[in-house]
Amino acid sequence: MSAVTAGASAAVKESRAPHGLVPALLRVHRSAFLFWLMLTAVCLGALLWAAGPGADAALAEYRALGCDRPGPGPDCHFSGSAVGRHQLAVAIASGLVTLLPVLTAAWAGGALTGREMENGTAELAWTQSVSPARWLAAKLAVPAVLLVAGTFAVTLLHRMLWSSPKNSLDRLMGWYEWHDDRVFEINGPVATAHTLAALALGVLAGLLLRRALPALGVAVLAVVSLVWVLDELRPRLWPTTATVTSAGSTPNPPGLVVEEGALTATGARVPVPECWGELDCPAESGITGYYAVYHPSSHFWPLQLMESGIALAVAALAVVAAFRLLRRRTGAAV
Amino acid sequence: MSALASAATPLTRPAPRPGGLLRTVARTHRPALVLSALALAATTVALVWLHGLGGEARAGDSACATPPTDRLPSCAAVEAITADETYANGLAVIATVLSYAVFPVAAWAGGALIGRELENGTAQLAWTQSVGPARWLAAKLAVPAALLTAGTSGTVLLNVWARGDGDPDLAGDWYYPDVFVSTGPVAVAYPLAGLAFGALAGLVWRRALPAAGMGLAASLLLHTLLERHREELWPAVTRVAAGSIELPRSAFQVSWDTATPNGVHITRATFHPQSHYWPLQYVETGLLLAVAAAATATAFALLARRLP
Repeated sequence: MSAVTAGASAAVKESRAPHGLVPALLRVHRSAFLFWLMLTAVCLGALLWAAGPGADAALAEYRALGCDRPGPGPDCHFSGSAVGRHQLAVAIASGLVTLLPVLTAAWAGGALTGREMENGTAELAWTQSVSPARWLAAKLAVPAVLLVAGTFAVTLLHRMLWSSPKNSLDRLMGWYEWHDDRVFEINGPVATAHTLAALALGVLAGLLLRRALPALGVAVLAVVSLVWVLDELRPRLWPTTATVTSAGSTPNPPGLVVEEGALTATGARVPVPECWGELDCPAESGITGYYAVYHPSSHFWPLQLMESGIALAVAALAVVAAFRLLRRRTGAAV
Repeated sequence: MSALASAATPLTRPAPRPGGLLRTVARTHRPALVLSALALAATTVALVWLHGLGGEARAGDSACATPPTDRLPSCAAVEAITADETYANGLAVIATVLSYAVFPVAAWAGGALIGRELENGTAQLAWTQSVGPARWLAAKLAVPAALLTAGTSGTVLLNVWARGDGDPDLAGDWYYPDVFVSTGPVAVAYPLAGLAFGALAGLVWRRALPAAGMGLAASLLLHTLLERHREELWPAVTRVAAGSIELPRSAFQVSWDTATPNGVHITRATFHPQSHYWPLQYVETGLLLAVAAAATATAFALLARRLP
């Protein structure tokens, strides 16, 4: 009777294991969980404030200084205190989102996997009802869901602020362009993809090095390099558009400029001549026009999807490597 | 005979040599030592190379004329020189690296130097050997502090040498946050404050990762606060005049107000002239060293209270 009961309760426990795994994970990492909730709340709060009272105050100041009139008066300087506060709020949100991949990698390499491997708590967990593969899957899935939810909410709110049609908010945001690194990342899935790649790289570093602090350092270095490379690669991720203007004017393309120069009569692309800007320059130097190779704002989505795809591919490779590493280390136990 | 010999051995070494303790600290943290040595070597090579580039960079940033005159070279020739951009970018990178050195130091001190040893119990093990807790902490702080002081002092001197005359167009103005921190004793004091913050965080949290995070956060706060309030560390100069004011080149502007009472245009400018560089450096260095001393004293007091 007792043996039967024990067998039945074991069966019940087994089916409930995933429910136990997630609360256990949240409990072990509750300070990280609370920190993440706080970070998301600060980002969302700053953006909500900037969209509501912050924008109203900035616009009121803007009008009071006479900046909205055609040919703004002498008192119109754009650096009023309300405008400054509005910009600070937006900068806090986008700055935290830029920092997020680094924080994620440090935590994933140090606390999520590296420390458990170093202390032996990972091995202890595997002797319980959780297999190594399930353990790793939970470690990746739970933070991934939380990170995606929070980052996506911030991205949606920032997009709303960015494309707000209700007033001349674009004047307040006019200091920034859609292709500035911070703005580009927070306005689309790229921010989320960077963060997921950071999580996967951190977990892999922790499993590889099996010590908290070295894993933290290596994960941070890897993610900083990844984000830097992606920032550098960005203009090359989609075919560019070229625009040509006559010799009398210069091209002023609205977007991410990749290359600029001058054209000769044969159509060759040459550097802008020294005499640029002088009246007789075109005749003197044989320049027939100017060209610019750039990404118009319509390339925003293709560029976003390409970069997100690359970051997610890195994340997927790191996840596959982590699972294979774990299987090799733990033998047939998976 | 054998008993006598074994009894005599402890007598001949009544006090452990401090050399052994210092060597142990260096040996335990060999990866950090190797990484810092590599960083130091890379910075030194970069600065020597930048110094060599300085002359050409200044030629590429000089006045020019089209067509060239007796005194001024042609603009096309000056434009063709690209060394000025390389030189300016290189100096900017070095300045940033030097002024951010405090962050890895604080994270390492909190995580690897103190926090991990208390978490793993290796600190408690060390205290049961010939080393008392206070001596243990003193060695842990003294060795990195000496190495950091030597490394940052040397790098700052090299940096000043590589900047040459410090032409603001190439090397950045003296009051740019990174330039200010990386050209004087402030650069030496920051990592020391980071070391003390990290050690204190390690003793408070007694766990590697939280201590690394808190050490980093505390030094980030300190760095941000000092950067924001740097202009208040020494009385600024105020100039009031009718019309507009032409500030001297390289003036660190604090505020600029214009008012038009009774139809007269009055400008009031507050700024730090370049001569305030050293007073500002000394005050900030003093503040940082005081903060470092306070954190170190707290760490020792905490260690003494924690002991049974």
